[in-house]
Amino acid sequence: MTGAQASAGTAVPGVAAAASWEPTRGRPLLSLSPLVLWLAAGFALPMAVVALLSLQPAGEVFAPIGLDLTAAHFQQILGDGYYLGILGRTLLLALGVTTACVLLGYPVAAWLAAVPGRWKSVAIAVVLVPLLTNVVVRSLGVMLLLAPGGAVSGLLSLVGLGDVRLLFTWFAVGVALTQVFLPFMIMALYDGLQGQDRRLLEAANGLGAGPTRAFLGVTLPLTLPALRGGIVVVFLLSSTAYVSATLLGGKKVVVSGMLVMQEAMALLNYPFAAALAMVMLACSVLATLVVNLSVGRLTPWLALRPPGLPRGSRRPALSAPAWRVADRLGPWLYRGLLALALGLLLFPMVLVVVASFNDVPQATVAGFRGFTWRWYEMVLDNERYLQALWISVQLAGATVLIALLLTVPAAFALARQRLWRPELVVALLMLPLALPGIAKAVGMLKLLQWFNQIPPFLGLLLVHVVMVAPFMLAMLRASVGALDRSLEEASQGLGGRPATTWWRVILPQLAPGLVAAGVIGFLISFGEVTVTAFLVTAQTQTLPVRIYAEATFSLENTVNAVSTLIIAATVLTLALLGRFVRLDHAWRR
Amino acid sequence: MKRSPAPLVITDPARRRAGRLLLSAAAVGAAPALMLNSARAQIKRGDTLTVGIWGGAQERITREHCAKPLEDKYGVKINFVLGGTPDRRARAYAERGRPSFDVLYLNIFESRQAVKDGVTQAPTAAVPQFANLYDIARVGGYGVAFNPVTVVYDKEVITRPMTSWADFWRPDVKGRIAWPSYPGAQGTAALLMTAKVFGGSETNVDVAFRKIAELKPFAAIQSSQDQLFGMFDQRVAAASAEFGSFTRSYAESRNPRIVVASPAEGQAIAANFACITVGTRNQALAEEWINLHLSPACQKAYAEQIYYSPTVRNVNLPADLRAKLIIGDDQVKKLIDFDWDHVIRMQPQWTQRFAREIAG
Repeated sequence: MTGAQASAGTAVPGVAAAASWEPTRGRPLLSLSPLVLWLAAGFALPMAVVALLSLQPAGEVFAPIGLDLTAAHFQQILGDGYYLGILGRTLLLALGVTTACVLLGYPVAAWLAAVPGRWKSVAIAVVLVPLLTNVVVRSLGVMLLLAPGGAVSGLLSLVGLGDVRLLFTWFAVGVALTQVFLPFMIMALYDGLQGQDRRLLEAANGLGAGPTRAFLGVTLPLTLPALRGGIVVVFLLSSTAYVSATLLGGKKVVVSGMLVMQEAMALLNYPFAAALAMVMLACSVLATLVVNLSVGRLTPWLALRPPGLPRGSRRPALSAPAWRVADRLGPWLYRGLLALALGLLLFPMVLVVVASFNDVPQATVAGFRGFTWRWYEMVLDNERYLQALWISVQLAGATVLIALLLTVPAAFALARQRLWRPELVVALLMLPLALPGIAKAVGMLKLLQWFNQIPPFLGLLLVHVVMVAPFMLAMLRASVGALDRSLEEASQGLGGRPATTWWRVILPQLAPGLVAAGVIGFLISFGEVTVTAFLVTAQTQTLPVRIYAEATFSLENTVNAVSTLIIAATVLTLALLGRFVRLDHAWRR
Repeated sequence: MKRSPAPLVITDPARRRAGRLLLSAAAVGAAPALMLNSARAQIKRGDTLTVGIWGGAQERITREHCAKPLEDKYGVKINFVLGGTPDRRARAYAERGRPSFDVLYLNIFESRQAVKDGVTQAPTAAVPQFANLYDIARVGGYGVAFNPVTVVYDKEVITRPMTSWADFWRPDVKGRIAWPSYPGAQGTAALLMTAKVFGGSETNVDVAFRKIAELKPFAAIQSSQDQLFGMFDQRVAAASAEFGSFTRSYAESRNPRIVVASPAEGQAIAANFACITVGTRNQALAEEWINLHLSPACQKAYAEQIYYSPTVRNVNLPADLRAKLIIGDDQVKKLIDFDWDHVIRMQPQWTQRFAREIAG
């Protein structure tokens, strides 16, 4: 371990201490194996089923999976401009959403990192609001924003753009997806920005760099590993999403996820749905690899390679006056993007809270008709909401705990140990994110008779950990990479045992990253419906599945009351958590 | 052990008499079914019945009118597994022969297909209220509610009343339509009614696709009632084909501009069916559950709370409510039915066609 040596000479000057440590030899397989085994148990089998299904001839729904394989579905998909068009447009949408999330995510993450300690928990809760509200209600929020006569079209006509049709377009879907996935990007960047050594910015400042130049020259490169996690997660999620596209695209927008859903659920054409899912999976894996390789190339110091950037690119490409203008505009751009992002994040919350007191039965009504406590009474009177909530909390809690136990060692292995083709390993570990939820559900359905033999709660736990672990790994990998290892060495040098070093040195540094990953993991598990809906029993009905079941019939305003209560509970829980766990790296200041 | 066919929970004396009469009448027809089920066990204390159904009002009404009476009477437990039809159906298909559901609720064409696929049972007179079911509610399970699809529109935008499915092609309507997406109950109804109005049928939908394509560009394409109501709220669209029941609740509670029309050609049938799974270990209890769902009290609650029309003849409703529903043999006969076997067979092909020629 101590064989690693500081080699400041090869690192980019000024990079945090973490960057100058060589990967250790260690036993990466040992650290990775718990996660790999769990994924094998909970994901490899359904995944194999999907892969086999995609090669089955089209037939009746009960046909057993055979070995009479055919590539006909793939030929059909790849030979038909209709499908290729949809796949291409979906990937472009995901690219657009990811770009928007990066642009909006940085200012919010920077703001979050700068919020004083006691307000931090509330600020985090604000960021997480979109993940706490029902997707239908959230979509309504975007609908109200973009509706004719709504805020955005009002703004556009002020600028003189006249009547631009915004609703039920790709733009509307993009806005909705950005709103939903922005929190993932923010949380990924938050820890990266938290861990940043402020002295570096001071140094940049002292050397005459203004805010824009300091951001582009110092902050951006240093947060690239965190950004990589955010980009991968957001891209994978937005390229497989279909609910928001259905609600806000009004079928004028067709994304690949919708096709899979339709083939699998409406037409029971599992082989074709599986083939579509496999093509989507291939695109996702490719995208993950490209992102990882590009970030790897842009961060040579992490692998102790000499900077491989093209000659001259380290020099400022702009002239001095241009930098001055950029430095002037930068802070304004920051404020504008921050306001836009916070508005986008918070608007649905306002809507949900207002609607929860609205005296109309339908949850999606646009106008306020009168004040009532009725929906809260209905929720609190019905012990089944509370039972479902309790099951969701237990499930999400257990999921996060197990996922942390699996992903923390894996993150250490990925960040510190010498691995064979680490980017490929990461891409493989991200597979559960890349396979559309509905395809996972199809895989599970084929295994349902076996799955039913497992106690229901354990079965759900198995699947939820599979769905949550890749997210947490993507985030923790960056957090572990940013740890200051000279502190660990100091601890060891002073006679600290490994356990003491872990407890007193590593854990406090890692706490914000653990909290960020844990909270995101908790919320993903807590909100998961697509796969869970196929697996719940009467005893393990989760709250989102209950809400979804009500929405399939007619969405009542109780859903807004539930969402408001969940938002309030989250703010309180995080505030409480903030009292015991430092959500920032205070010592770095 | 053979179960006594006597109705077990009918409390209303008039109904009890009717039940006895019906049972004696049905006994002959039911004999094979009863023999088939001769191995079925009596209802025992502690039995659990697992019911797959939608949430919201559906869960509330069936808890009150089906679950509670059964739990009180026999000391059994009713498990509700809530969800949407697609997941329920996919799961029942995956569990064929070894079901985790005893009773599950499906739409009209899915229920008929499920019987053919050996996933759920055909209805029998072992359920006493079977005798009171309208004929159309006796195929592919037990019809528990009619919920037809009809023309709905915003009377402030479309000032001339819409009285026919062909009115979608009126110049003052065209361009203001949120066409229902296919597949789906509303989209299927709209497609088939178009075929019918323009001289086609379910076996000749070509004309429908051509006529619907003429309506492009649509104001929107709607894929759920909540979405449509949002479109009406935002004045994005002013006409569509939708379930009359929900649209009526919506119009009455929040958007009085919306009219639920009664097109001259009739309304397209859509209905919910309760289906008993093949392989259930709670046959008797499942039948009793369905009988309670078909009981006048439960049917009345559905009519009053969500404007679902009863599927049994022996329900008395106040006149003002009847006016908003489909009641009596004459009106039920006017519901437009289709050859659902054919419709299901064609679904993949029509889905492709809709996606390429109509949507997008």
